[in-house]
Amino acid sequence: MSNPNVFQFPEAVRTRSRFRNPIGKFRVNRTGDCIACGKCVEICPYGVHVKRRGQVFVENNYLCLGTGCPEPCYKACPVQALSVRRNPVFDTLGDFRWTNELLAGTWYMAEFGERPLAGLEYKVGNSGGGFDKLRLIFKGTRSCLEDITDDDIDVSLELNRRDDNAHRIRIEIPVYGGGMSYGSVSVTTMVSRARAAAALGTFSCTGEGGYPDELKPYDDHMITQVATGLFGVKEETIQRVKIVEFKYAQGAKPGLGGHLLGDKVTPGVARMREAVVGYPLFSPFPFHSVYSVEDHKKHVDWIKAINPKALVSVKVSTPTDVDMVAVGSYYAGAHIIHLDGSYGGTGAAPDIAKKNIAMPIEYAVPKVHRFLQEEGVRDKMTVIASGGIRTPHDVAKIIALGADGVCIGTADLVALECVRCQNCESGRGCARGIATTDPELSELMNIEWGTQRIINMYLAWLRELIRILKKLGMKSIKELVGRTDCLIHLDYM
Amino acid sequence: MERKEVISRIIESRKPLVQDLPGRINYEIEAEGGCGVTGFACSVPVRGKHIFEPSKQMHNRGNGRGGGIAAMGFDHNALGVTKEVLEEDYILQIAVLEEGVMSDLENRFIKPCFRVDFSERLSHIDDYRDIPGMIVRPPEIRRYFVRVKSNVLDAFVNETGLKGLDRRKAEDEFVYRNSFNINKTFYDAFGKQHAFVVSHGRNFIILKIVGYAEEVVQYYKLEDFRAHVWIAHQRYPTKGRVWHPGGAHPFVGLNEALVHNGDFANYRSVAEYLRQRNIYPLFLTDTEVSALLFDLYSRTYDYPLEYVIEALAPTMERDFDQLPIEKQKIYRAIQATHIHGSPDGPWFFIIARNDTENKRLQLIGITDTSMLRPQVFALHDGEVQIGLVCSEKQAIDATLKSLAEEDPRVGTVADRYWNARGGSYTDGGAFVFNLEESDGNYLERKLTCADKFGNEITIPTNQSAYITDKGYSLRDKEEKSGADLSVFFHKKQPDLLYEYLKDRIKDFSYEDFFDSLMEVKTWASRGNDCFETALDALSRLIDRRYPTYNKKRRSILQMIDRTLDSIFRSFPSLETPDSSRNRENNGVSCRLIDWDSRDLLRGPVEGEDTLIIDGSLFPPEGEDCESRLIVDAYCMGWRRFIVFGLKGQRFHGCGIGPDSGDVRIDIYGSSGDYLGSGIDGLSIYVHGNAQDQVGQIMKSGKMVIYGDTGQTFMYGAKGGEVYVMGNAAGRPLINAVGRPRVVINGTCLDYLAESFMAGDPHNGGGFVVLNGMEFNNDGTVIPQSVSYPGSNLFSLASGGAIYVRDPHRTVDDQQLNGGEIVPLERRDWELILPYLQENERLFGISIEDDLLKVSGERKDPIEVYRKVQPKRGETIAEDGLEEWNA
Repeated sequence: MSNPNVFQFPEAVRTRSRFRNPIGKFRVNRTGDCIACGKCVEICPYGVHVKRRGQVFVENNYLCLGTGCPEPCYKACPVQALSVRRNPVFDTLGDFRWTNELLAGTWYMAEFGERPLAGLEYKVGNSGGGFDKLRLIFKGTRSCLEDITDDDIDVSLELNRRDDNAHRIRIEIPVYGGGMSYGSVSVTTMVSRARAAAALGTFSCTGEGGYPDELKPYDDHMITQVATGLFGVKEETIQRVKIVEFKYAQGAKPGLGGHLLGDKVTPGVARMREAVVGYPLFSPFPFHSVYSVEDHKKHVDWIKAINPKALVSVKVSTPTDVDMVAVGSYYAGAHIIHLDGSYGGTGAAPDIAKKNIAMPIEYAVPKVHRFLQEEGVRDKMTVIASGGIRTPHDVAKIIALGADGVCIGTADLVALECVRCQNCESGRGCARGIATTDPELSELMNIEWGTQRIINMYLAWLRELIRILKKLGMKSIKELVGRTDCLIHLDYM
Repeated sequence: MERKEVISRIIESRKPLVQDLPGRINYEIEAEGGCGVTGFACSVPVRGKHIFEPSKQMHNRGNGRGGGIAAMGFDHNALGVTKEVLEEDYILQIAVLEEGVMSDLENRFIKPCFRVDFSERLSHIDDYRDIPGMIVRPPEIRRYFVRVKSNVLDAFVNETGLKGLDRRKAEDEFVYRNSFNINKTFYDAFGKQHAFVVSHGRNFIILKIVGYAEEVVQYYKLEDFRAHVWIAHQRYPTKGRVWHPGGAHPFVGLNEALVHNGDFANYRSVAEYLRQRNIYPLFLTDTEVSALLFDLYSRTYDYPLEYVIEALAPTMERDFDQLPIEKQKIYRAIQATHIHGSPDGPWFFIIARNDTENKRLQLIGITDTSMLRPQVFALHDGEVQIGLVCSEKQAIDATLKSLAEEDPRVGTVADRYWNARGGSYTDGGAFVFNLEESDGNYLERKLTCADKFGNEITIPTNQSAYITDKGYSLRDKEEKSGADLSVFFHKKQPDLLYEYLKDRIKDFSYEDFFDSLMEVKTWASRGNDCFETALDALSRLIDRRYPTYNKKRRSILQMIDRTLDSIFRSFPSLETPDSSRNRENNGVSCRLIDWDSRDLLRGPVEGEDTLIIDGSLFPPEGEDCESRLIVDAYCMGWRRFIVFGLKGQRFHGCGIGPDSGDVRIDIYGSSGDYLGSGIDGLSIYVHGNAQDQVGQIMKSGKMVIYGDTGQTFMYGAKGGEVYVMGNAAGRPLINAVGRPRVVINGTCLDYLAESFMAGDPHNGGGFVVLNGMEFNNDGTVIPQSVSYPGSNLFSLASGGAIYVRDPHRTVDDQQLNGGEIVPLERRDWELILPYLQENERLFGISIEDDLLKVSGERKDPIEVYRKVQPKRGETIAEDGLEEWNA
């Protein structure tokens, strides 16, 4: 897998929505005046209209570009039977960070493996801060790389940069899947993410709720988490994987620990975590055994004693002294410092935490990047950023700020048609059967479908990243690291 | 003048001192995590080389970017001054980073105000690069023995209006301010750094460098320099590449040197609190403010030590309620006044203090209220008395070993080891070793030890110690006919051999006992059966408690340790796998491996089954540590391991993986952290105390600890059967799930089984039996004063149970949060009985005679034990916000 000439990305395969009427931005209305002439079927390049047994139907509302369409069907209709208006449901979706457009754009990418054509804002959200205030700037000069094929642009990432005896691991795309535990999401979701990671030559993470047997075939592409509750952490699970992640804190709720609601502790979850059915599970906010950097070193040494070849990733939130935490982790022997900012988190993280604690990730990453540089160890450490990375443009921005790669969570779920209803915290009743452990709801999705949706989204991101790099005149993603000159902040122009 | 007025005058008159400091935000730039700290106080002055070994043991707690030592209580001859000068003068030590400023410094801050009785440049080795790994040149040290000139002091007292202050105290204050001015002028943490005052107290010095603590000893040639009290600090700062020694510990108040392990969360708040009292830290580390706090409380406010400790580590919650009313009043006042200055977060202080008023030297260890840092105290009594405080037990052992090599009156084992419960009503989390002059002889001091409340730690005085150089050695007595031990070996009766040896302690002299041990050793080399008999009997002598009559238990242990070590070392190495050699060794199936022969590791051949590992030279962690060697050996087919000679090596049993039920590891010596963390099947026997993080995420298997165990014992464990002979420290079994079944014969400091989720004990779930017992000096099992002293028991637990031996109902609802106390049922007793039987077999703690006897009377188990289980019927409020339960 580590030879770039050998690794082949999987093909994107169109994978339609699981639901009969996918939500789109526009809705096309056809009146009874329709004469089924088929003109609309002919001119619509997106397949909104379908002709079947002599009749014409609007089958794919969600693909309609609406008023932005260059050759609108409603104008071409000889009997004016067609009209287009904005889908009122669309405006009920999303939030400022994940706008309805971003959701629809991600669904599109997960269906086709391509970026949406037009009419959908798939690059930035509307949060009024963070990535949404940053823009990539392309210095106006035409890139000399336009003739180079996409295959020659290197977006891979070496995760082990210490010269030690641990595994050499390279991921083919600078993105891997963040930890979501069994209990917070269904096994189907976990396996879909793991299979996608395996196909894409990258990693996915178990979270802290144990290591279900269903994930065993993908051991080489799994990260297992050692988190403060130590749920499901066994010597065997640590030995099974190539990367072990210490979760000291989550950016979405630093200092709060974890909390799995009693309702989500189904017999299956309880079995996996060896706890009691129906009782809430608490992960303490600190590791009770780690209160200082030398405790942390001991902790890392312990994992290395159990699995000497494992890479050690240290996931922390972004307190103001995060730079010290990063360099401390380096000296403790970690390979990856994973900075988890506060923009992420599913509905299970309380708003008051998400919005008020720790430093924004776009401040933390450059701080750490520069500090490691000053210490002379930047090239020994892999910096991964996470927390609210929604789009390939977010990826490019955070790398330009100084990260080497990113870790994503919510975006995977959106690819699986999460609608960001924010109900994850209210029990196991995820309307989309993603963040649930309810056996019936879990059946809303199958693994094949889930895998391909995630693969598609990653492939779309990959292509978009390559497009960005080319336009910047860079042959490798490594060139982008720390290039803050490629960015502009809308408030400080 | 009223005392109150004096205090406010002192504080007020310091204003000009700090007024001209630049108004920049004064915040901690040199944050650091934990560190290694160690300290000991000895009744006679001992050489600096003895702080060398323990410092080295704690290398993995520092990163070589800051080390320091303090030494206190000297022989005046060694310093070239008279006794009076030593005792009365201040030893002003200035670290010179820029030679050029010195004449200016002397002219401004020394010559005009001090009478200099003696001054010197401290000698050091010629080239710091001769010490491998040292990258920054340590500072030159100028040492001055000074008194403040009388007229200068008069002027100072007049100027500051401190007439009501005792003259000596005024002089102290002058020295403090003068040093502050020196630092302010010549040392700028943000800019130029030319010189700074390292220490200025009486009869003690501090030295610090960029490097490891033991390199201080090497560089300044202190190996043979003697002092009563030594403390050392290994620093683990994480920020900045370029270092200067000013940031290293120890820090000085006036007559005390303080080292610190931990990190405050509220540095700013403490700094602000100090600023309101016109005190500014200049070195920007939390340790400096700690020293300043201590100085403020003890010297400016003139608090007794108990109140100083209370101000630093307040007594909270239930502990507070347990205090006598009178004490509560005082403590409440202290807390109300000083809570903002109380360091919050994980910290542990070791302080060397010259209590000049009472003419005594002190070594103090103070633990934070939440007990977040590891700490161990130890007391060694005898002709030479030693008190020790360290962050890890192996540092104590290393100190004693180093001292014992020089002085036969010192044993390698201490009389007592214990942990402190921070901010508690029982011991206050702090212990003080006092060195008082005996009969005016300041070089032969008397050591006593007391907790925060003044309760003394005592050692039986009617026992004598084994002095190693009394003329017997390992070899020359082998011919002397002792008792005939052959019957025990022929009949393979280790239990009788144990009984025999233990009973002989009463009448035998140390020499005779030693001969018997030599006899055992001889027998041990006569084949497998004999070896097993000897090993079993000697291990029991280490593990069990029994009366030692006129002999010190530590001496008996020391002799047995040595015997075992020499038995272990007599086995052949792995070099010769041929079976002919086996016959030569009488068919002994053990093979020895050590650091030098580690590359010879191979699988066992026929007739070999036990790998004996001499751990003494292995590093404590990393690629070459012997826990990895055990894993490799396991993969090659070895199943039984005996590890000895340990000095805190970590991770034993880790990495072997599941299905290892046929593996047994026996651990002798000072085992290290994370022992058995993650084991899934194997058995580990720890012959002695275990350390921190033992049995984390343990899945299955058996662990037996013949002693105490440290912090976060079995955190996140999933199962296993564990027996602890003594106490567990803070946070045992937090977040444990599944089916761990644990018997703790002592008690725990606090937070036992928080978030315990171990199902239904009657349906395969887990539980803890807490016996709350201890051994008295005769080896008899007696109940501790309370079964569980902590404020938090079984908090937020959702499964499992705690069975606590509590005949006097000392555990109450206040300690619970989400749990309830219910009477024991018959089936509960039936459930725990087999574990108590195994407990009896292992430790000799009898169910009938010890556990079920209450004040001499045999009781029904149902009267003796109580059950703590999760509260049923109502679920704990999920968000904790409800104020009213409608």
